[in-house]
Amino acid sequence: MAAPCVSCGAAASYRLFLAGRVSFAREQGLWKAAAAGLQTGTRCQILRLKHSPAVTTKKNVAALRRESYTVDFIKKQIEEFNIGKRHLANMMGEDPETFTQEDIDRAITYLFPSGLFEKRARPIMKHPEEIFPKQRAIQWGEDGRPFHFLFYTGKQSYYSLMHEAYGKVLHVEERQDQLRAKGLFSEKPKTKDPIGSRWLIKEELEEMLVEKLSDQDYAQFIRLLERLSALPCDAAEEEFVGRFRRTVTVQSKKHLIEPLQYDEQGMAFSTGRGKRKTANAEAVVHGHGSGKIEINGVDYLLYFPVTQDREQLMFPFHFLDRLGKHDVTCTVSGGGRSSQAGAIRLAVARALCSFITEDEVEWMRQEQTEA
Amino acid sequence: MAAPTVKVALGWSGLGLGVRRAALRLPGLVQVRWSRYGPEYQDPQTDKEYYRKPLAQLTEEETYERELRKTQVIKAAPATKTCSVFEDPVISKFTNMMMKGGNKILARSLMTQTLEAVKRKQFEKYHAASAEEQATIERNPYTIFHQALKNCEPVIGLVPILKGGHFYQVPVPLADRRRRFLAMKWMITECREKKPRRMLMPEKLSQELLEAFYNRGPVIKRKHDMHKMAEANRALAHYRWW
Repeated sequence: MAAPCVSCGAAASYRLFLAGRVSFAREQGLWKAAAAGLQTGTRCQILRLKHSPAVTTKKNVAALRRESYTVDFIKKQIEEFNIGKRHLANMMGEDPETFTQEDIDRAITYLFPSGLFEKRARPIMKHPEEIFPKQRAIQWGEDGRPFHFLFYTGKQSYYSLMHEAYGKVLHVEERQDQLRAKGLFSEKPKTKDPIGSRWLIKEELEEMLVEKLSDQDYAQFIRLLERLSALPCDAAEEEFVGRFRRTVTVQSKKHLIEPLQYDEQGMAFSTGRGKRKTANAEAVVHGHGSGKIEINGVDYLLYFPVTQDREQLMFPFHFLDRLGKHDVTCTVSGGGRSSQAGAIRLAVARALCSFITEDEVEWMRQEQTEA
Repeated sequence: MAAPTVKVALGWSGLGLGVRRAALRLPGLVQVRWSRYGPEYQDPQTDKEYYRKPLAQLTEEETYERELRKTQVIKAAPATKTCSVFEDPVISKFTNMMMKGGNKILARSLMTQTLEAVKRKQFEKYHAASAEEQATIERNPYTIFHQALKNCEPVIGLVPILKGGHFYQVPVPLADRRRRFLAMKWMITECREKKPRRMLMPEKLSQELLEAFYNRGPVIKRKHDMHKMAEANRALAHYRWW
């Protein structure tokens, strides 16, 4: 059974993490053997961890040069990855057809348990596209003549993109002029986009173009796109602009709100959990009450003699104007008095989410979030 | 016009939006190094009135800002902040500056005792005064506190600037926060150092606050000394380059 194509990160050097104490001489021997191994094979196996010592000897100068991967090499890696994925699925007793990346990750953590703290140093098995950095194919033909007409600018993809975007702007303006000449032009105000999407950030653009950009280049490009989006565009131009926008998540959606539960008497109640530093709290908020708060079986006035802590307990109720309308029973453990108060505050806020509208949930989040 | 560039700092190593904490939580082990908030975390808005404003009354910028905040991650409110009407940021700042060794309980109790002492003194004066004078006596300890600190704020400050191997005290305009800080600092130092033995802090502090409220007393004198020094050194003003 061929070993799966596993690579320990992207050709970096690692410190050997051993449980026991290894003598210095033996370490040196191990490392020298590993460094020799680096020269022989391009594929590294999990059992042979590489390390290049701090002093750059003549042997390691070759390793420091930027490696360029040919298209054939990448293709071969992809084939090996796919075959290895099927083998791995077989080993784990799962169906090779429906073996997803999450399954691969789980299988690798199971087969190769690693205690390393650095996540990127642990064994991973991912598609070669994600591991090998994206590189550009050779930009010129056999006669040495470059394919792209903007090759000699140094940033051909960026300038061609700018060229295209500006062409679109001119096209739209020309169309507007034509309409104006015919008298059919209507000043339709552009509806302002609600927050839901953002422009690409510089790193994303660099990844898209596989080219290094400066901050000024990026700013120029975004300005041009904003100018284009301000004009009345048709579907093709909207699609062009849409390629450079990413959606933004609404934060409050991340937290699921539990529905209300009802006890034997028919009174509504809701539970919430909260953590702050090392304190853990669990609160049960009852729908109808007189503002009584009981913590670990003790009244809140006795449990928290300090005013500041009691103010923290009151905070969620006061914000929602529900002081004295709910009863709370909670348990808390760990931490000091201030962190216990903070943990209970968070637990109560979470429990109250079931009683209130979504808007109020959002306001509470903006005010006293969950850490 | 589409939304302008919203700077979202993605953790480019793939860790995700500014979450700088180890997701690994082993049972039985407690993390020692707590995570810090990333730069994209915004400060919380504790003002109830901000949220209670009906949507119809909001201007365009306010609506936009609200929508924007929905997508932003927000820090948790600190333990000292609530939406209570009794909370005062100036009092909180002064309490923190009075605090020694993290003993917030003591600092806060001293603060409340000071305000109580101020109120008692003013009420004594009020009851002992005639009808015309009663109108002029201020009894709210919070207004006295704010006014006293405002009276103690210096207008101009001195900064040591190195020129030609010597340090010169150059007059310099102060930022608002620096002025407030100096007023509070002077007040606290004055009360700590020039206190007669056996006199407690609340008593001394209430005394100083009342004197500063009427624009007399050692803290006001220190402010005037600072102003006189600045006036004396005005020839050196051109040493400042900002």
